[in-house]
Amino acid sequence: MLRVNINERSNWRRKAEEYGFKFHTMHGEPYWDESAYYQFTLKQIEQDLETPTEDIHQMCLHVVDKVVNDQALLEKFQIPDTFWEQIRDSWKQQAPSLYSRLDFTYHGTGPAKLYENNADTPTSLYESGFWQWLWLQEHVDAGNIAKQADQFNSLQEKLVHRLAAIAKHYDVTHMHFACCQDTDEDRGTVQYLQDCARESGLLNDFVFMEDIGLSECGSFSDLANNKIQTLFKLYPWEFIQREEFGSAIETANVNWLEPIWKTVLSNKALMPMLWKMFPNHPNLLPSYFEDELSLATESKLVKKPIYSREGANVSVIENGKTVLQASGPYGEEGFIYQAYSALPQFTDNHTLIGSWLVDDKAAGISVREDKSSITQDMSRYLPHIIL
Amino acid sequence: MQSNKSKRSININLKGMRKGFSVKPLALGIAAICLTACGDQQKATVYTDVSDCTNDNPDAATQCEAAYQQALQEAERTGPKYNSQSDCEAEFGYNQCNQVQNSSGSFFMPFMAGYMLSNLLSPRGYYSQPMFTSYSRYSPYRNRWIGADGYDFGDYRRRTMNVSESALKPKPTVSRTIKRGGFGSSVRAKSSWGSSSKKGGWGG
Repeated sequence: MLRVNINERSNWRRKAEEYGFKFHTMHGEPYWDESAYYQFTLKQIEQDLETPTEDIHQMCLHVVDKVVNDQALLEKFQIPDTFWEQIRDSWKQQAPSLYSRLDFTYHGTGPAKLYENNADTPTSLYESGFWQWLWLQEHVDAGNIAKQADQFNSLQEKLVHRLAAIAKHYDVTHMHFACCQDTDEDRGTVQYLQDCARESGLLNDFVFMEDIGLSECGSFSDLANNKIQTLFKLYPWEFIQREEFGSAIETANVNWLEPIWKTVLSNKALMPMLWKMFPNHPNLLPSYFEDELSLATESKLVKKPIYSREGANVSVIENGKTVLQASGPYGEEGFIYQAYSALPQFTDNHTLIGSWLVDDKAAGISVREDKSSITQDMSRYLPHIIL
Repeated sequence: MQSNKSKRSININLKGMRKGFSVKPLALGIAAICLTACGDQQKATVYTDVSDCTNDNPDAATQCEAAYQQALQEAERTGPKYNSQSDCEAEFGYNQCNQVQNSSGSFFMPFMAGYMLSNLLSPRGYYSQPMFTSYSRYSPYRNRWIGADGYDFGDYRRRTMNVSESALKPKPTVSRTIKRGGFGSSVRAKSSWGSSSKKGGWGG
């Protein structure tokens, strides 16, 4: 695992314009950074990332199976009781899932360690599935990168196939896609999935979450009053379940992507649960619920809110003292504790690996760098190659 | 693990990934994405022309002919309309469009490729609607049966399908929306907290 400097493609901003990649720069700061790339060996990719990613996913499914059938655990996961039955049903019916992203700390040797599972609303999908693919293609074509260079990135291919399979499962030919207003990044991610849906032969329509309506027969509608039958929502289940229309979910009869059973996985309570069920697994970090903190033998721990996004409200605790803290609006549902495991540093960057799953198949990686050891929403995205 | 195979997507349709070049039709019929929240499914068949229908329903030649004429009219009324021949051909294929003049102006429209029939022999009357398909390899409509509103009824080799009753009718909105804005309150709450580093996404 190396960090290699390379010249930027001179025309990449124009290309970004052409392909509609609007969030490569955010708040005046670069987000897409092609001044360098990460280089992995095929063995690092397959042995240390691809296989563990699929293994951990299977372990996560075991957790879901346990939690949905256990009232005490559902409470521990802070899932509102009005949704327990629906979550259990969706799991029993094996409602198909589309994708997830597992975040790892990985140093190039030794086992990658799982930080968390973004199982419900993962982003950086477009940059991963398409934009870094194009970056490699163009550098190889221009002779700047060796012809035999590859990339761990079959995301787009797998997404197209998976969307077609899900449409077949539900016997639909149309899907709605939704995210919140005023966010180029989320809108771009959802547009990418619409592009993939179109590639798989599906009709698609977009609606903002805020614009979704409730019809007199109890179904959800878009702005043209069309019934929402199948909905991909880049909007967390834990929000939906606590909002006004949450109570309409049960009768709205929507084919949800992600399915509602993912509530169990997009929840940091997953981490102590995995550690309980698969103790000492090489890819897991010791993790504890708040009420079992006395079991922790580690002197340095990371405290994470049960629900949070992009590193918000995460703090690092050493011998009982908070040594590093990221602010944010989360934490009211409680916290979990995870053994501290540093990110690798390349020059002065801390590097985090996101490993993608489409359904249960490992589908590629994304690499993000941050100046801080808590990766937050101002991190930069760098492409990678396999050589 | 398949070490000897490429680890990345082999084919990406770059053309399809470009933004801002694809031309949307000027007009699509009223969208029919399952307007019946509460409706039933029924069997429908697509015929490519009158004789195709008559062969299948020898006792209903009159209905086949009348339904065809009705679908033709409906095609002109509700089918996709474009400003230029090239826009229309980009979506439906070379030589697949004709110019239509009506009260609202002059347009280019794809030829009707078939018509969908249901309840042909029912005393309550049959339903028919025009079907389109595309011969353009760049179009998502290629080799699909497409309704006037862009609804994809599936592979064009498939002739019978179950469709919701409303998909066959001229389409007033069935389901009335009684309320909007029931989603998004969490975001409003978390945003008002006002982090300076917030870049504005709610995914992770």
